[in-house]
Amino acid sequence: MWASFSATFNRQFMTMRRAYPWSFFIGHILDGVYIIIFAYLSYHFIFQGQLNKNFTSYTGTSNYLSYAMIGGMLNSFSVSLLMIVSRMLITEMREGTLEALLLTPSSRQGYFLGAAVQGLMRSCIEMIAIFSIGLFFGLKMVSVNALILIPVLSVFCFAIFSQALVLGSFMLVFRDTYITQNTLFVIMTLVSGVSFPPQFLPGWLHTLSCIMPLSYGLNLFRGVVIEEHWSGSMTQDLFLLFGLGVLYFIAGSIFIKRTEKTVVEKYFG
Amino acid sequence: MNLLSIIWAEVRKSHRHNFNNHLVYFSLFVWPAILFINAYYAFKPFNLQAGSPLARFVPFDKLGLFLITGYLAYIFFWSLVQSAWQMAYERQQGTLELLLLTPVPRIWLMFGRAAANLIEAVWLFSAFSLLIILFMGGVHVAEWWLVPVAIVLLVLSAVIWGGFLNIIFLFSRDAGVLYTLFEAPMEFFSGVRMPVLAFPIWAKSIAFLFPLTYVLTILRGVVMEGKTFRDLSGSLILLLGVLTVLVIASLFLVRVAERHAKETGNLTLF
Repeated sequence: MWASFSATFNRQFMTMRRAYPWSFFIGHILDGVYIIIFAYLSYHFIFQGQLNKNFTSYTGTSNYLSYAMIGGMLNSFSVSLLMIVSRMLITEMREGTLEALLLTPSSRQGYFLGAAVQGLMRSCIEMIAIFSIGLFFGLKMVSVNALILIPVLSVFCFAIFSQALVLGSFMLVFRDTYITQNTLFVIMTLVSGVSFPPQFLPGWLHTLSCIMPLSYGLNLFRGVVIEEHWSGSMTQDLFLLFGLGVLYFIAGSIFIKRTEKTVVEKYFG
Repeated sequence: MNLLSIIWAEVRKSHRHNFNNHLVYFSLFVWPAILFINAYYAFKPFNLQAGSPLARFVPFDKLGLFLITGYLAYIFFWSLVQSAWQMAYERQQGTLELLLLTPVPRIWLMFGRAAANLIEAVWLFSAFSLLIILFMGGVHVAEWWLVPVAIVLLVLSAVIWGGFLNIIFLFSRDAGVLYTLFEAPMEFFSGVRMPVLAFPIWAKSIAFLFPLTYVLTILRGVVMEGKTFRDLSGSLILLLGVLTVLVIASLFLVRVAERHAKETGNLTLF
């Protein structure tokens, strides 16, 4: 597993340095920045700082700007990491190297992990850029406790990585990235509480947020950096996020294995 | 070769290319519908009771109509940003050079491509929007003949915008970043989700760069506010001015793009 991890990490790192499509990089940063600017304009110029009372009761904060900006930041981070990991196999297929990869006895987990860890470098740079811009538009963090934040972010990254495995297998089945990934992203943005609390949504739509790691990640991250306290519901969210990650990981590993067999029979047979 | 035959050829090509997979209906209907729902719920964190600052620009009972007209017009423009983005694939597949080797006038090809893609991309969401508008009610029209005029203006503006973007995308091998630059700002600054009048000066300046801003002013003026032709003549003149600038810029840029491609040979080299 280590050999395929380091080989994939090195290859992806070289690709990033030499031939990474910078449009993706700039695009992810701009997507986060747009959410920040739009939240700023809506809050100050259209609604003149007047909030719905339910917003405060659902979120436990009256700091809408930080709520929406963290939503944009973490949404952009999730989209970036999901794209990096899930597009790996289909990119190999498009570039003609999938057959060679499948012939090797390398560990698939190591392969995806190498891509994810390297991708985290890019996603973190993007998140820092969005965060820095957010500070100019009113993003306020009450506390940044690294001892709590690091485990929360680690579990969140694991869950997003696992979700990417499932997404990647769907991409291989449909032989499509554009529609598959963007359909997930628009649903994820709607139900996960990126710019408004999901409690405002009708019950059946709100239920969908339970299967989105982003939803739990946002609750935890906002709880830690805006509300500055650790509640019982946050411990529950952390366990649910980890459990969801494990479920997605198992499902993703099974789907990827099955899809690989189908791909070999269908396209290389 | 006339414009209609170019449009027809592009319609057939686009249909064969995009409709071989049922997944296309996600981009035709599911995404715009979810964007519309998302925009509606994005208002919820704010004060929408009596005395809400939003009421200065949009009455609360017309918020649904405001959003659906916004998204209807936005989808026309958005689909053409997407279609222009697909120009990159023409280059990757080597068909861009073949297209430019045909005796078709370049400018017609660019606008014809936009018109052809528009027909295929907007019909489903337009039908959905029409049903929503009929269901919600609240339509207030003073001069009914202005409704088809507004629709023609919407189509014409979208095609000119799409043709202009097609030409911009001729210049670059990786024009994906332009998609990011044009898509989300157009949605927000043009007043699809929020009233432009509430914006500060700098945001209004960005709004007035997009023809969609003027189209939305006219469309909502006709459908929601019962404005007459005389009321809308100012916006109409501004829209025609912006469209004229876009057409002149397109005529100029298409020549520059072709000359540039001949010099660098970048029509096939990716």
